[in-house]
Amino acid sequence: FYTATLMVWSTKEILASMDSSSLPSSCPSSNDSYVVEFHGPEGTGKTEMLYYLIARCVLPKSGGGLEVEVMFIDTDYHFDMLRLVTILEHRLSQSTEEMIKQCLGRLFLVNCNSSTQLLLTLYSLENKFCAHPSLCIVILDSISAFYWIDRSNGGESCNIQEMNLKRCAEFLEKLVREHHLVLFATTQTIMQKSSNSTESSIPLKLHCEADVEYRPYLCKSWQQMVTHRIFFSKQCDFSSSKAFSIVSCHTKKKHVIKCSFSVAECGVQF
Amino acid sequence: MVILRAGLCPGLTAEMIQLLKANSIATVVDLVSSDLEEVARKCCLSYKALVAVRRVLLAQFSAFPVNGADLYEELKSSTAILSTGSKSLDKLLDSGLYTGEVTELTGAPSSGKTQVCLSIAVSTSHDLKQNVLYVDSTGGFTASRLLQLAQTRTGDEEEQVEALQRIQVARVFDVYKMLDVLQELRCSVSQQVGSSGPVKVLVVDSVSAVICPLLGGRQAEGLAIMMQLARELKTLARELSMAVVVTNHVTRDGSSGHLKPALGRSWSFVPSTRVLLESREGTWGQASTHRIASLTKSPRQPTGIEVELDIGSCGVLEESPAASGEGR
Repeated sequence: FYTATLMVWSTKEILASMDSSSLPSSCPSSNDSYVVEFHGPEGTGKTEMLYYLIARCVLPKSGGGLEVEVMFIDTDYHFDMLRLVTILEHRLSQSTEEMIKQCLGRLFLVNCNSSTQLLLTLYSLENKFCAHPSLCIVILDSISAFYWIDRSNGGESCNIQEMNLKRCAEFLEKLVREHHLVLFATTQTIMQKSSNSTESSIPLKLHCEADVEYRPYLCKSWQQMVTHRIFFSKQCDFSSSKAFSIVSCHTKKKHVIKCSFSVAECGVQF
Repeated sequence: MVILRAGLCPGLTAEMIQLLKANSIATVVDLVSSDLEEVARKCCLSYKALVAVRRVLLAQFSAFPVNGADLYEELKSSTAILSTGSKSLDKLLDSGLYTGEVTELTGAPSSGKTQVCLSIAVSTSHDLKQNVLYVDSTGGFTASRLLQLAQTRTGDEEEQVEALQRIQVARVFDVYKMLDVLQELRCSVSQQVGSSGPVKVLVVDSVSAVICPLLGGRQAEGLAIMMQLARELKTLARELSMAVVVTNHVTRDGSSGHLKPALGRSWSFVPSTRVLLESREGTWGQASTHRIASLTKSPRQPTGIEVELDIGSCGVLEESPAASGEGR
């Protein structure tokens, strides 16, 4: 099964060594869904990791890529095309303009400016996924972009505040399930660690084990669909060559893997 | 949130809207996200007609994906790197200010934020012959200083006047007025009023001055307005391909004691590039023109690079041996 194999490959590749043991070693059943959340403060390498992912996906098979199509939903006006091109140039052995364009032809970008627009865009993308079976990776950077604006627009009612995001999450889940997509979404650390542990939906044990600052603030529907949560952080110690580190948690199996990487001009290096 | 009304899209009649409303479907989102078969049954409407309306509404209100290769072609012609007029600062920023991005200057009072802004404004208008919109929210903008900066670049009075004419100044003292000014800028570009050409650099000095009063108390509301402003700045940068420069003040980190930009975590994701300005070696009571600019966030360069700036009568133009301590 084409997409299922791809899922394993991409996830395996993409999550590098982070999560190898929690991945099914043999052929997975097509029910396995991958919804990966990247979480971390500003400047901890989330965006760089996304470029790494995109490059991995859009590069031709001959160049060590997966040659699949990617849909990038940019809600923060954050995507830097020129940076991606720099990374692709480093990855390709012979980077001609033509080659770069061929790679970029596998990438689709869409900007959303409000949670309503995000929801409507997701609805309208359904046809695109039907028409492009090789479009199997969706990146949403970030899913927390409208948090404050929605919260303020919703007035006192928590339901209204979360309405759009909840619908987005539910529809994303449907898309992931029906089209066998792999979804990567970033959430920004915009809250301080809660002193009140009852608010947290993740067991405290995992917190201590992974030693990460995490306070879930997005709607329940989103929290529940995430299969892997990857926490990004940056070491303050500048002497270390690998300044960035990630902790990957399998949300169901409570499996934790740590790894570190560095960022150079050619992108992320493990 | 868009309310359904007659004429919103072809095929959506007043009669249909009445029936839909009776079944508590009032907005575009309501209609698009509901099960149309069920709606057709409940409202006694044609399923086909509903499907057609849904399709049109989606096309009308959703964002359309573009192909990466096409976007790259477009960016190659629209992206510009604008020199700040200072070699050291350009070096720090990987050759200058990039259009389409928000660059932030942070620093304590009198660390030189406004001076760098003024200097950038004059360089853009005189050296690059491009238009600047300077939004001043602190009252720190002085025309005489701007003239002085122009005078150091050219002795020709006409050229000085020309340079100053390319800088529009807007004085605002609250965030609502600031949003108005940005809205006007967007309108003037879309209607192409003013034959003077497009604004290439937007300076906002400072963001924190209008945002800080809103934070605290009912925080969610203040944060929402802050994010609305952030969104406006970023879309302007992207859609009108201009370089946006904002200033922010600093606070001291509770645990480490290091200086960090103000406005908190949510804002920290907004600028693509952050530069911290400090006057380190100035001994007490002695005014120093030396400033250290360090890169604390960048999509291209390793963070931690430092350069020395000398803010003299010519702005930050003066050459000084660049001291750089590279590290990551």
